[in-house]
Parts: sequence; C-alpha cells; structure tokens
Amino acid sequence: MTKAPGIRTQNLSIGYGGVPVASDLDLQMPAGKVTVVVGGSGCGKSTLIKHILRLHDPIEGRVFVGDHEVHSLSGKAARCFKQRMGVLFQDGALLGSLTIADNLALPLREHTRLKDPEILEIVRNKLQLVGLEGTDAKYPTELSGGMRKRAGLARALVMDPQVLFCDEPTSGLDPILSAELDHLLLEMMSHFDMTMIVVSHDLASMRAIADHVVLLGDGRCLFQGSVEELDASEDVYLRRFLDRLPEERTTPRLTMPALDPSKLKIDCSRLLD
Amino acid sequence: MSQAVRGISAPFATLGAAFLGFVGELGALAIFFLDSLRLVFAGWGQFAKIIRQIYFIGVQSISVIALIGGFAGMVMGMQLYFALSIFGADGFLGAGVGLSMVRELAPVLTAIMLAGRAGSAMTAEIGVMRISEQIDALTIMDINPMRYLVAPKMAACIISFPILTTFFNLIAISGGWLTGVKLLGANEGVYWSRVQESLSWSDIEGGLIKSLVFACIVCTICCFEGYFTHTRKGHVGPEGVSQSTTSAVVKACVVTLASDYILTSILW
Repeated sequence: MTKAPGIRTQNLSIGYGGVPVASDLDLQMPAGKVTVVVGGSGCGKSTLIKHILRLHDPIEGRVFVGDHEVHSLSGKAARCFKQRMGVLFQDGALLGSLTIADNLALPLREHTRLKDPEILEIVRNKLQLVGLEGTDAKYPTELSGGMRKRAGLARALVMDPQVLFCDEPTSGLDPILSAELDHLLLEMMSHFDMTMIVVSHDLASMRAIADHVVLLGDGRCLFQGSVEELDASEDVYLRRFLDRLPEERTTPRLTMPALDPSKLKIDCSRLLD
Repeated sequence: MSQAVRGISAPFATLGAAFLGFVGELGALAIFFLDSLRLVFAGWGQFAKIIRQIYFIGVQSISVIALIGGFAGMVMGMQLYFALSIFGADGFLGAGVGLSMVRELAPVLTAIMLAGRAGSAMTAEIGVMRISEQIDALTIMDINPMRYLVAPKMAACIISFPILTTFFNLIAISGGWLTGVKLLGANEGVYWSRVQESLSWSDIEGGLIKSLVFACIVCTICCFEGYFTHTRKGHVGPEGVSQSTTSAVVKACVVTLASDYILTSILW
C-alpha cells in the first residue's frame, strides 16, 4: 500500500495573465506510478506542472494532491505541501553561487534541525544514489549537462518527497545519457515510495518509464491512459504524434521548384574579405 | 463612440494608462521594499548572508569610492580656490569643500557609484536566477526568495552606504586639501579650521540620512528589476536581464537625484 498521493485535476484551465494555454483538464495521475505528460511544444506541459506546484494560480478549476485541494492550502499546510514535493527542473536550476553539496544541503538547513555532520551524510548518500560521488565541492558550472541534471535530481530527492516532478529530464542529452537517466528515475521509483510526474516530448523515454500517459494538444487533454492504450489508439492526432508525422498544412508547402534556386545562394564575390 | 470622440479621448486614455501603470509600479516597489525590510530580521540564518553581502557591496567598493572621492575633492578644491580667490575669500575653501561634500556630493556620488557597481550586479544576479528557474526552485523548496536573496542585500546596503559615504567624505576633504593647500597654496591651518567650524552635527546627520534613503532606493529598484525581469514585455531571457540591468541603474540614479532635491528641501 503506497503512502504517496495521487494527483487529479478538475475542470482545470491553465495559462498566464488570464490567457488560457489549456482548458477543461480533468486529469488523473495515479498514486505510486510514473505519469508522463507528453505533447507538442507550447501545449502547456510545463505550465501544468507549475500550476500543480502552486507557482501559478489556475484560471479556473481545481487541483487535488491526495485529498487536499492545492490552491486552497495556506500557512502550515501550504508549507507541508511544498516540502512533500520534489522538482527536477529542465536545466537542474541549481543555485550557481553554491557548491553541489550546499545546493543539496540548503533545504535540509532551512527546514530541519539536523546538525551539519548529519546533513553532510545525507547529502553524500543522495549524491552516491545518483552516481555523483566526489562532486560535493564543485560548482554547478563545473559539471556537464547530464551531471547537472543528476545533481538536480539529488536535490529534488533530498527531502524524501512523496511526489517527484521532472521537467524535460532528457532534453539536451544524447541517447545513451537519456537512457541512463530513465534508468535512474526508475531506480528511484523502486527505492522510494513516491508518485512521479514527468514532462517530456521524448517518446522513447516515455515508453521506457511511463505507467500512465497524459497527452496534451490543441489546448486540451487528448488522451490519458496506459502506453498500450495509447499505442492502440486510432485517433489521427495521436497517430501523427506517435509516428512523428508532420501536420498537414492548409497553405501550400514551400518546395524547391517554386523558388529560384539562385536566390537561395549567397554570391561568393559579395562576401567580405 | 464616434470616431471624433475616440480621436479626442485617445491621448487622455494613453496618458491615463501610463499614469496608472506608474502608480501601480510605485505601489509594487513600496510593497517589495517593506517586504524585504521585514525579512531582514527573519532569523539568525540571515546573519552570514548579510556579512557576505556587506563584503561584496561595501568592502569591494572601497577602492572605487576612494578613487571617485579623491578626484571629486581635488576638482572641488581647485575650482573653489579659483572662484574664491577672485573675491579674496580663499580662506573659505575648507568650508566650501566640507559643506558641499558632506551635505550633497558624498551621499549622491556614493549612491550613484554603488548603483553602477553593486546595483547592476544585484539586478543581473537576481535576473539570471529568475530566467534559469532558480527562484522557482527556491519557492518549491519553501525558501522565500525575498528572504533568501533580497533581504540580505537590503540590510547590507543600509549598513554599507553610510559607512562608504563617511569614507568618501574623508577622502574628498583630503583631496580638496591636496589641491587647494599643497598645489595652489591656500593656508593649511585655515583650511582645516574652516572645515571643522563650518560642519555642524546637523550637516553630518543630514548627509547620513540621505545615504540611508539612497541605500533603500538603489537596493529596492535594482532588486525589483531583477526579480521581475521575466515580466518585461518584448524582452525575454538574457536580453531581458540586460535590459533590466540598464533600466535598474538608470532608474536608481534618476530617483536618487530627484529624492536628493526633496531631502535637501526638507533637511535644511
């Protein structure tokens, strides 16, 4: 029996400055499972996470984490809510002025009465968990992109969250590093009792880690269910998304014969010396 | 509404919108300032951060302040000596340099220099943290970004500005002595006794009050511009940060000079 909460949204409209990005979202993200939110660029995947995390207020509708309505929490309940959430941001979002160890120690120093040696022990354990032993004294700029993501993951896990959000964890990584990070996320799921919400447009990554898929597009939820159900779907948009087919245009596509090829080239004699 | 009425009312509507925007930003700045001031005293954890900021804003600005103070005093000593000599009043050189520095130039030039050196760095630092989601990360970790980032800077400015202004005064008055007395030949004893006689406690107090007000102005504007860099229309990402930094320094200097006029009217 998992203690990690599930997440559901009710008639949720998300957006910025009153302009909706996606509306009428009635989503279910099951407890103790990995839900992958996929969709095209700008469809509101990251915006959805920010609304669930209370970084923005919804235009309409409600978000529930477990039995708690997220946006009605205040005072101590709101603080408890935040401390139960872990977030891996797209580029790690590690504080540039702190070392990796201090980045991980920050929430522990702010929210616990643990002594420094105990904090450092936890920090070392979490870094070991993500395979970053020996990077304690390094600054984020001294790490590669993949290492920064893993350090960001270690920081997200440092308070033992019940829900872990990952915003595009594999973006900017080569296929091998992406596969390693997917493997790491699944390992984390087996170590910790938590619900994981991953935003991605990496279909290979989705297939590797998802128990549940939410597909956003056209300002609404187009699909939610298992990967098998998604693969079996005959919906035109879903097929196009899964098979990576470009959208059909109503305007004529720009083709080479329509252009004068000489106008596409730069006259070398006009280049500066 | 007819076309003619729309045409007549359009300039008023634009003016009204601009005025409402200005009042709105002024209100947001006031709330931002009060919030950061309140959070200065949010626990002992702030102490180390404040010390670090004092080192950056105060200690690392000493050489610049010494340089500017020295040259400002030397120019003032030279110009006043030439002007006063015409009337045979070069004995008042010390009074002229002392009063102009302590009442006006030291607080204003210190604030402007710090807006350029430390204020721009504050805007850029907070702005970069905003666009790279570091401020969102702090919020998610339930760490108030205003307490963590802005309040220590505010405390450090409030402590550093008056100290640096006093340091500026000392260097500038010495600079006036160097050109007026050592280079141009004014009487040394008269110079220092005029400095001492002409300066009352109310002059020094007024200068320090000004530096405190300027500290709040520079820090609030520079941190505010960085903190809300993502809301800039038409400029996002690194370009937005550079725009915010320029805008912060310009606004901080203009508001400092405008408030200097108001403070001078009130204080003396």
